[in-house]
Amino acid sequence: MTPMTATARPERRPDAGASGGGAPGVRRVTGHGAWFLVLPALIPILLLSVGPLLYGIALAFTDAQSGRTEPTEWIGLLNFQDLARDTLFWESFRIGLVWAVAVSVPQFVLALGLALLLNQNLRFRWLARALAIVPWAMPEVVVGVMWRLVYHPEAGILGETLGTQRDWLGSLGTALPAVVVVGIWARLPQVTVVLLAGLSNVPKELHEAAAMDGAGAWRRFRTVTWPAIRPVALAIGALSFIWNINSFALVYVLTGGGPGGRTRLPMLFAYEEAFRYGQFGYAAAMGCVLVAVVSVLLAVQLVGRLRGDGR
Amino acid sequence: MRRRGFLAGALAAPATTALLPGCAPGRRRATGGKVRLRFQSLAWQKESVDATKRLVREWNAAHPDIAVEYVQGSWDSVHDQLLTSFEAGEAPDIIHDAADDLADFAYGGYLADLDGLLTRRLRDDIPEPSWATVSFGGRRYGVPFLQEPRVLIAHRALLEKARVRVPTVQRPWSWEEFEDAAKELTRGGTHGVAWPLKEPVSATLNLSLSTGGRVFHRGADGKVTIRFDAADQRVPRTIRDQVVRDRTASRTTLGMGGSDTLPGFFGGKYAMVPLGFSYRQQIVQQAPKGFDWTVLPSPAGPGGDRRQGVSPQTLSIAADSPYREEAARFIDFLLRPPHMVRLALGDWMLPTGSRALRDPALHTRGHGWATGTALAEALRPAPALSVRGYPEWKDKVATPALQEYYSGAIGMDSLRERLVGDGNLVLARYQR
Amino acid sequence: MSAGSRPPRALVVRRRAARTGQYLALLGYLVFLGFPLLWLVSTAFKPPRELATLHPGWIPDHPTLDNFRQAFDEQPLLRAGANSLLAALAAAVIAVVIATPMAYVMARHHRSPLSRAATGWVVVSQAFPFVLVIIPLFLVLKNLRLVDSLGGLILVYVVWSLPFALWMLAGYVRAVPRELEEAAAVDGAGRLRALVSVTMPLLAPGIVATALFAFINAWNEFFFALVLLKSPEKQTMPVILTHFIGAEGVADLGPLAAASLLATLPSLVLFAVIQRRITSGTLAGAVKH
Repeated sequence: MTPMTATARPERRPDAGASGGGAPGVRRVTGHGAWFLVLPALIPILLLSVGPLLYGIALAFTDAQSGRTEPTEWIGLLNFQDLARDTLFWESFRIGLVWAVAVSVPQFVLALGLALLLNQNLRFRWLARALAIVPWAMPEVVVGVMWRLVYHPEAGILGETLGTQRDWLGSLGTALPAVVVVGIWARLPQVTVVLLAGLSNVPKELHEAAAMDGAGAWRRFRTVTWPAIRPVALAIGALSFIWNINSFALVYVLTGGGPGGRTRLPMLFAYEEAFRYGQFGYAAAMGCVLVAVVSVLLAVQLVGRLRGDGR
Repeated sequence: MRRRGFLAGALAAPATTALLPGCAPGRRRATGGKVRLRFQSLAWQKESVDATKRLVREWNAAHPDIAVEYVQGSWDSVHDQLLTSFEAGEAPDIIHDAADDLADFAYGGYLADLDGLLTRRLRDDIPEPSWATVSFGGRRYGVPFLQEPRVLIAHRALLEKARVRVPTVQRPWSWEEFEDAAKELTRGGTHGVAWPLKEPVSATLNLSLSTGGRVFHRGADGKVTIRFDAADQRVPRTIRDQVVRDRTASRTTLGMGGSDTLPGFFGGKYAMVPLGFSYRQQIVQQAPKGFDWTVLPSPAGPGGDRRQGVSPQTLSIAADSPYREEAARFIDFLLRPPHMVRLALGDWMLPTGSRALRDPALHTRGHGWATGTALAEALRPAPALSVRGYPEWKDKVATPALQEYYSGAIGMDSLRERLVGDGNLVLARYQR
Repeated sequence: MSAGSRPPRALVVRRRAARTGQYLALLGYLVFLGFPLLWLVSTAFKPPRELATLHPGWIPDHPTLDNFRQAFDEQPLLRAGANSLLAALAAAVIAVVIATPMAYVMARHHRSPLSRAATGWVVVSQAFPFVLVIIPLFLVLKNLRLVDSLGGLILVYVVWSLPFALWMLAGYVRAVPRELEEAAAVDGAGRLRALVSVTMPLLAPGIVATALFAFINAWNEFFFALVLLKSPEKQTMPVILTHFIGAEGVADLGPLAAASLLATLPSLVLFAVIQRRITSGTLAGAVKH
C-alpha cells in the first residue's frame, strides 16, 4: 500500500480546514462506521486487484507455464535475463512508446482545437458535439472493425477516395501510422470533453479585456485560456498517455500485431506470450517491466505538476 | 522440491494451487447414464456449418443416450481459446483444429491418445502420410480428416489471351515456366500473379517441399534445429523476384489474406492467384456473373516434383473428457466415408480417407474438383508439424522476416540469419 | 461583438476571416469524425456483390437487410447480447452499491489513511497494465472454477469499474453541501437517517449516472471477456464480433458491419441519455485529483 499512499500524498487539499471537521455527529458516524461503509468495496479490491497484482509480481520469478507435464519452480531473475536479451520484446516496447506518443500528442492538440471550436458560438456546433461523443460510446472492437472496413485494401472507402488502392493495414510502412490514426479517433472525445469542461472555467471578462487591449488570438490563448485549463489539460494528457500505452483491443482487431510485428504493442505481446504460448511466468515479467516504466513516467508527470503548482 | 515448499508458504492458498500442475479440475462422468458431449467445430462457411450441424443432428437422432452439442468455434482465435480452456479445465470434449496446433497441446498433456480408441476401419481408411501429421512420440493425438492442396486460380480469358501453355496435373509448370507465364500475363494494369501472403510461413514452407526444402531438421538427439539452405530458398526467391524485380506480382496483395484479393481478381487486376483449394467456394459466391475461372496445379520442382506440405484439419479428444470412448464413437460416425464426403463438399476441401476420396462427387469437372482431387496423392505432412515451439517461431520470427523479405525490405542473407538465428533461440526455449 | 462602440474596419475583416477559418476547421472535424461511421452504416446495408467490387460507393445501390439476418444466422448474437446485458447490468448495480458508501467516506474524510490509500489505489489502478493483473486473475479464477463463467466476469467487471465509480461518486458527494446533512443530524433526525433522507436523494442522479457509465464500460469491454470466457455460448458481444473474422483475417464484411452496428446501439442510446452527467462527473474527478 505504501507506493499508493505515496502517489496520493502530493495531492493538494484546498479545503484543508474542513477535513475531519464538520459537526461532531457526522464525524462519529463515519469514524466508527467507516470500516463498515468501506468493507464491501475494500474486500473485492484486495482480493481481485491488489492480491492478483502481488501474485503477478511473484509469478514473474517463476517458470509458470501452461501444461501439466512440468512443475512450476522459482527461477529467480532468469525471466528478466531472458527478457533483456529478447530483442523482439524491446522492439515491441519501442513500438509501444512510439504509438503512445504518436497518439497522445496529436490527440491532445486536435482535442484542444475541437474544444476551442465547440466553445465558440458556431452553427452546426450541436452536430460536432454529437459526433464527438459517438466514438466514446462505441465498443473498441467495433471501432476496430469499422476502420478495418475503411482501410480495406480493395473494398475500402479510403483507397477509393484517395484514388490509390493500398493495403494500409497490411504493409510494413503504413500499418503503424494507419493504426495511430484510429487510436487518435477513438479517444478524441474523452479528451475533448474534459478540455471543453475545463474551458468553462476560463474567465470571460479576462478574455474580453485582453481582446480590447488588442491581444491576438494566440496571445489571448497563452495568457488567459491556457493558465485556466492547465491543470485539467495536464491531468487528461497524462491519463490519455497511460490509456494508450495500455491499449489492446484496437490493435488486436485491426492488425493482430502484424504485419511483421510492426504494430505489436507491448500489451499484445504479453497477452500472446501468456495466452497463446502459455508462458505465464515470462509474460508476468513483461508486465512487471511495463508497470515499472509507466510508474516512472507517472512519477515524472506528478513532479512536473507539483512544480507547476508551486509557481 | 525444497523450493516448492517455499513457494507454497509465500503465496496465498488459491495462488499456490494455481501454480501446481495437475490440479486443473477434471470433469466427472455424470451419474444417470445420459452422456453429453461438447463438439467444438471450426466450420466457418455457411455450407460447411450446415453440413456439420446436419451430421450432428443425425447422430443425436440415432443415439439418444449420447447427446452431442454443436459448439461454434473460430479459426482466428482457436489456439488461444483452446490453450486457456485446457488450462481452466473447460475444454470441449471433441476438438476440431489443424495438425500444426497439436504438437504443443499434445506435449502439454491436454489431448487424449487415440490409439486404443479408434476403430480399425478408420485407422485403415486414412493413409499413413496423413496419420504422420498427428502422431508424436508414437501416439496419435488427432484424426486428420480434411485437407487442401494449394492451387493457382486463374482468370481464364486472360490466360487464353496470353497464349501460355496451360498446365495440367500430369504436366504442371516448373517454377521457371511459372515465372515466364507470369511475365506473359503481366500487361497493362494486370499483374500476372497476386500472392496473398498475410500468412507467409505455411505457404512458403509447404510449397518449398516441391524443391526439396525442409527447414526443420531433427538431430540424432531428437532435438529440432532450423536450417535455411539452397533448396529452402528456391521458392521464396521466386516470389520475391516476381514482386521486386520482375514486377509480375502485385505488391499490394502481400499483406492480404486470400479473400481480400478476390475483388481485384474479379476486376482483372491479377491473372492468377495462388490460393487454397477451398477458396473456390468464395469465388463461386462472389464472382460477377459471367466471370470465367479455372484451377491449375501449383508449379512443380525439379524432376516434376509435385509434393506439397499440408497440415490437415483434425478431430481430437480432450484428455479431461470423461467420455473418451463415446467421443471416439462420434468421431468414427462423423468420418464414415459418405459423411466425410459431405464434410468435404461442404468445406470445398479434400477428404483424407481413401474411400471418401474415390467418391464420384469429388471428381466432377466443374469448379476444378477433378484437378484438386488428382493432387491429393502429392500431399505430404508439412515440415513444421511435430516441431514444438513452431507456432511461436512462426508468429514472432518467421512471419515478420518473410514479410520483410518479400516486400524487398531485407535481403536473403538477413532473412536466413533471422529465420535460423532467432528461430533456434525460440525453439531452444521449448526443448530445454 | 459585445463591445458597444463600432470596432475598426480591419478588425471586422480579421474577425470574418477567423470565422471562416473556424467553420472550415469544424468541417474538417466533422468529416474526420463522421466518415468512418457513415461507411460502417453503408457497409451494413450492402449486398455481397457490392462489397466485392473494386469501386465501392457511399450509398448501396440495392440496400438490403440480408446482412442482419445472416449475422444472426452465423453467430449466436442474441445469446451474446443477453450475456453482455447480464454481465453489464450486474456489474453496474453491484459496483454502485458497494462503491457509494466508500465514496462517501472518501469524500467526507479524505484525510484518513484509509481514504488516502483508496484514492491512491484509484490513481494507480489507472496505470495498471491489465496483463499483469489478468494472468494471476486467470489462475485464481481457474481454481475457483470461475473461468468461463459469467459470474467470474461480473466479479472482475465490478472490481475493474470501482476506480472510476469511486472517483465519480466521490465528486458527487462533495457536491452535496455538508451543512444540509449536518443540520438534519443536529435536528435529531439521527445520523444514519440524515444520510438516507437527505444525502441519498441528492446523490441519486449521480448514482444513476455512475451506474449507467459502468454499464456502458462493461458492455463495451473486450480484454477480460476474451481471456475469461471460453465457450462460445457464454461469450459477450465484443468477443462474438471478432468471430466474424475467420482464418487469415478473412471477414464476411456485410454481416460483420451489421452486427457491429447492433452492438453499438445500446451503449450509444444510454450515452446520449447521460452525456452531460458523465462530462461533469469525469471532470469532477479530473479536476479534483
